[in-house]
Amino acid sequence: MIFFSRMLPVVVAFCFGVLGIGIYYVPHAAAQNLERELALWLRIVFAFSYLLGLYSLLNLHWQRIRQRVAGWGYSVVVYVGFGLMMLFVVYNDGQGPFAAQAEGTAAENGYQWLFEYVHVACSSTMFSILAFFIASAAYRTFRARTPEAALLLVAAVVVMLGRVPIGAYISEYVPAAADWLLNVPNLAAKRGILLGVSLGAIATSLRIIFGIERSYLGGGEE
Amino acid sequence: MIQWLMNIDRRIIFIFVFFGVALPLLSNVFLPIKPTRDVVAVYEELEKVAEAGGTVLLSFSYGASTVPEMQPMARAILRHCFSRDIKVVAVCLWPEAPGLAQQVLEEIGTEFGKTYGEDYAFLGYKPGNFSVVLNMGQDFHDAFPQDNWGTAIEDLPLTRNLRTLRDFDFVFDLAAGDSIEFWWIPYGQEKYGFPFAGGCTAVMAPDLFPFLQSRQMVGLLGGLAGAAEYETLVGKQDKATAGMSAQSMAHLIIVVFIVFGNIAFFLSRRR
Amino acid sequence: MTRDTYIFLALVLTFAFVNGVLLANGSLAADWNSLGIMVAAGLTLALYSFLYKDNPLFKAAENIYVGVAAAYVFGQYWYQTIYGEIFVRLKALGGEDSTQGDWWLLAPTLLGLLMLTRFSRRFGWLSRFSFAFFVGLGAGLTIPRTISSFILAQIEPTLQPLSWSVEGLNLLIILVGVVAVLVYFFFSVEHSGVVGKVSRVGIWFLMVSFGASFGYTIMARLSLLIGRVTFLLDDWLHLMTN
Repeated sequence: MIFFSRMLPVVVAFCFGVLGIGIYYVPHAAAQNLERELALWLRIVFAFSYLLGLYSLLNLHWQRIRQRVAGWGYSVVVYVGFGLMMLFVVYNDGQGPFAAQAEGTAAENGYQWLFEYVHVACSSTMFSILAFFIASAAYRTFRARTPEAALLLVAAVVVMLGRVPIGAYISEYVPAAADWLLNVPNLAAKRGILLGVSLGAIATSLRIIFGIERSYLGGGEE
Repeated sequence: MIQWLMNIDRRIIFIFVFFGVALPLLSNVFLPIKPTRDVVAVYEELEKVAEAGGTVLLSFSYGASTVPEMQPMARAILRHCFSRDIKVVAVCLWPEAPGLAQQVLEEIGTEFGKTYGEDYAFLGYKPGNFSVVLNMGQDFHDAFPQDNWGTAIEDLPLTRNLRTLRDFDFVFDLAAGDSIEFWWIPYGQEKYGFPFAGGCTAVMAPDLFPFLQSRQMVGLLGGLAGAAEYETLVGKQDKATAGMSAQSMAHLIIVVFIVFGNIAFFLSRRR
Repeated sequence: MTRDTYIFLALVLTFAFVNGVLLANGSLAADWNSLGIMVAAGLTLALYSFLYKDNPLFKAAENIYVGVAAAYVFGQYWYQTIYGEIFVRLKALGGEDSTQGDWWLLAPTLLGLLMLTRFSRRFGWLSRFSFAFFVGLGAGLTIPRTISSFILAQIEPTLQPLSWSVEGLNLLIILVGVVAVLVYFFFSVEHSGVVGKVSRVGIWFLMVSFGASFGYTIMARLSLLIGRVTFLLDDWLHLMTN
């Protein structure tokens, strides 16, 4: 049983890993067709992975409701929002779930209406709240305590002023300085990081293919 | 006094930030905007496509959380395409993107009197991140057999003959995640060599400069400022341009706060 | 009732009053779009109430968003892929025109279904095959592309011929920066002596880069705030003159 539950998946990862590398270097039509087919397979499996996430979310809130933990009422609200949107997914403007998505603007289609006025409104507001906190944090913690911190601070201020129209009002050199900072020292640092990350990604990929890295298999008795 | 300055209630800073944004918006002041080199490069590349009567693939890889930054960018790019009769095929690589893409395509398509299926097509969302790009490269019809409304793309005049990514004259990715860097460049541009550029949230923009110098990207629109620069090039002042005065004022307020904070810090240390 | 309760009740009543005025003076019409604008404005203000302090209005708005978002995304997966691609193509296998079907599609569908066994204690191990396929193939596809797109394509513009010009100087700075940053991240040797000095230069480059990222991050968050304030002032209250 251990062979099926632990060894065979590692063999599967090895085979598909080697295949993934191989088809890149083989220009033959058969290899290219295989790449097309495997890309389709990846897409399909990826789609199922969303169902895992959805189950996890709904189960988490169901457990909160079932155990009446503090704030369980908000988990009911999650289900209300989910149920409301699901009604429109299933109704699909009268066409039912076994049809392609119905056309229509927010005024004509409940699915689009909820998206535009609830989903978009909440999502962009949630992230915009960070504007206030980042301003407060900048005031409290952005101190030139060391030469390195001073360098960071100056770069941030130059970029903040140089990338908006007011920078040119202060001095024509402000946008030019921001441009240089981004295109020279910033570029060099990001490239250094990218090269380091790439080498790390290759090493991790090789560890997965050769079965050294197996954390993706998860725990379990078998 | 210094101690009070250093421990100022955060809600006072919040009020300054709010009014720093709201007052310029209400005053309706438009500051002159000078497009940067990387934004002009995108504009010029699209002009080349227009002269060749080409087709652009517009990839929507952003969600609802970045709408204020990305939607003006999408509008500006689409305005340029439609005003120059460039054909546009829109795909979504982000699950929240279809609602946003639909909104902007309908709005700008109507503004320029474009016909669906001939001048533009909307193929909706496919899950799979980089694998969708890989799939499009090998066989576009395999990756997107139908448009967003269930019509076979074989039946749409615009998409009928687009078989792979090589058939596009330009690919532009509107990104809020790592789709430019980790999906489009390694799985698309690297193999098929099409001219590629992107528009991204300001958070991501500094990470993409290495790809501009290496010419893996033709140009870049970074955040709302990038969108405002593009609006200037297209000649239509819209939400991004309107937001630039507020953006400038808010930046200035934060810089002043940082300077004050540091002065207070050094004075307190001296004591 | 506490002071905060009165504040929030007053805010809710003010919100209702403002909407009443907007409807009465014709700024908002009695249609779905206007209702949407009112709902969006209410949710926006409820979420911003967090800036005062955490409260039930904020939590309710936050949780309704989570539910709506999860179902919206499910809709996208359903229409376009699970129904639009898998279901339709597999259904065609049993139809008269079986050329429309795709037998190969059974394999990823099975792998996808096996992934769902993760929920089961008894059969959970079967999901390992799906993860092995996904992770293994992903790793294989990553290696050659990382080498060509990120390593070779990035080293080439770093090692360009230098010249006595501003561009040449910039190229030299980029070269020094890349090398110094790589040395900083190379932990297999002790950072002392020459290595220590070079890695310190690497830190300077990193600091400039982090500063640029911080500046851009502030810019991004403020852009989002500008978007929401524009919505409140223009779309809802019609106060902007454009």
